[in-house]
Amino acid sequence: MDATPMLDVRGLWKKFSGKPALEDLSFAVRKGEIYGLLGHNGAGKSTTLGIILGMVEPDAGGVTIGGHDVQRERAKALRKVGAIFEAPAFYEYLSGWENLRQLMAYSGGFDEPLAREVVERVGLSKRIQSKVRTYSHGMRQRLALAQALLPEPEVLLLDEPTDGLDPEGIRWFREFIMGLRADRGMTVLFNSHLLAEVEQMCDRFAILREGKRVHEGPIGDLSEGPPVFNVDLEPWGTACGLVSARGGEVIAPGRISLPRALDPAAFVSCLVGSGVQVRAFAPVRRSLEDLYMEIRLHGTVVDPHALDR
Amino acid sequence: MIFFQQLRGELRKLFGRPRSWMGYGAFIILEAVILGVYKLDSIQKDGHELIERNGLEFQNYYSSLSMTFMMILLSMFTLGSIFFALVGGDIVAKESEDGNLRLIFSRPVTRFRVLLVKYLAVAFYTFTFVFIVGISGYLMAVAATGWQGGLLVVQPLMKVFAAFPTWSEGASRLAVAAIGLGVSMITLSSIAFMFSCFRIKPAAASIVTLSILFVDMILKAIPFFMPYEEWFITWRMSAWIFLLEKHIDWAKIVESYTLLAGLNVTMFVIGWLAFQTRDFKT
Repeated sequence: MDATPMLDVRGLWKKFSGKPALEDLSFAVRKGEIYGLLGHNGAGKSTTLGIILGMVEPDAGGVTIGGHDVQRERAKALRKVGAIFEAPAFYEYLSGWENLRQLMAYSGGFDEPLAREVVERVGLSKRIQSKVRTYSHGMRQRLALAQALLPEPEVLLLDEPTDGLDPEGIRWFREFIMGLRADRGMTVLFNSHLLAEVEQMCDRFAILREGKRVHEGPIGDLSEGPPVFNVDLEPWGTACGLVSARGGEVIAPGRISLPRALDPAAFVSCLVGSGVQVRAFAPVRRSLEDLYMEIRLHGTVVDPHALDR
Repeated sequence: MIFFQQLRGELRKLFGRPRSWMGYGAFIILEAVILGVYKLDSIQKDGHELIERNGLEFQNYYSSLSMTFMMILLSMFTLGSIFFALVGGDIVAKESEDGNLRLIFSRPVTRFRVLLVKYLAVAFYTFTFVFIVGISGYLMAVAATGWQGGLLVVQPLMKVFAAFPTWSEGASRLAVAAIGLGVSMITLSSIAFMFSCFRIKPAAASIVTLSILFVDMILKAIPFFMPYEEWFITWRMSAWIFLLEKHIDWAKIVESYTLLAGLNVTMFVIGWLAFQTRDFKT
């Protein structure tokens, strides 16, 4: 992945009617990266996207896309950008095809062969000539994807794109976006409050809370640190002694951590060999949800070992 | 080139909406009603008296052209203004309310360009509406009275009385007047457009526009304001009537249309400035 920031958000401040919506928000998305922006409703995700697209004027700070300043040279900056919003509003009384034609008139012109190819790719060929008012939510999202892909973007901005989709639709959407990154090296900013989606799609993510960035990091980091296990061992006292002897830690009754270098299977054999009855021994994977809830509850990331303390 | 693609797209949207066509239907009904009233014996008798009193031949001036003029005169500032206010009030505010503008603004296009395209589309709609309504009114009048005859213009409020005895003279003069009326009505659409650019509901933009128009008309009709009638927008918008005078006073017409053009530009600029400062967000 290229380390050059394709999308650079620097020190954004924004107030609506005196109420802060964003406070000194900065992050950068590298070329070819899928970056997740997580947060509760009202955390500032959509405001951030609005500023990136030049629809919302920041009180301070700025955004560059591909080296072009959105606030100063919006047209240049957005030339290779596609965007999808939650519940995109199309012209209901026009066909899907006519909607694409309308939107592309504002993006350098309508290229019919390209439009046909994109419509085919998003699986909307059969219904593209139907009026949008007859479309299901899933079809609207496919049309939204088509309009976002038509300018042949290098950067894709997705604002809650999978909200309201059925599980099949969510999976299709996720695989499509992952495919775009794999095939074209597309840079993606993914706004969502669906933690599982962010975890499955994104390389890095940031968590917003009341307009502030409270965490940023790679998804891979979630599983860093000593592995933690939920256990049911008898007798507990003997088991605790063995955990400590092997450099591990008893976090709480029924929860232990072991050094990364220690093979869990070998440790289970050791327990059994020492006369400990092993009824359960399951690794605890620290999910994005765990992390998110920690931040929601404590305002920061807490020590993973202290989760149940 | 791309500008014309955008304008064509905007016109497709405008003419693709059922609401844009409602006006035509309503006008045809109103025209039929007006025509029916003019066919009543009592009305014909009054018309007969008026025409003959002025030394003109009733048979020549009780014609399709005269009826078309009366239909346009009676309907455009009443029903027409409602539809222009509706369409002009919708053009930006409705798309803003529905969220369509967010999709447009995710494109590399300036707000000025989007507004300019929308303004020109609504101006085109207004102008063609007047023409289509005039043509449909004329065709209905022809069906009712035949195509022959001259044109009689009676408009006491603007102090215009003119008679064109031949069909060709009357028809060409009426066509020129329709162009003038079409241009005049763009001012009404401009007012609605300006309000549409503010952060208000589409219906509110239409209602405020109609309120301004009707207050202007009412104040103008109050005797106290008679000496100042030229200061009223609706008086200036009625300058198209002067195109039906026997001898056209071009200076008077140019003055009114220059004022209206200035007003239109002012409305557009105010709307644009208001629009430019807005944030677009869910």
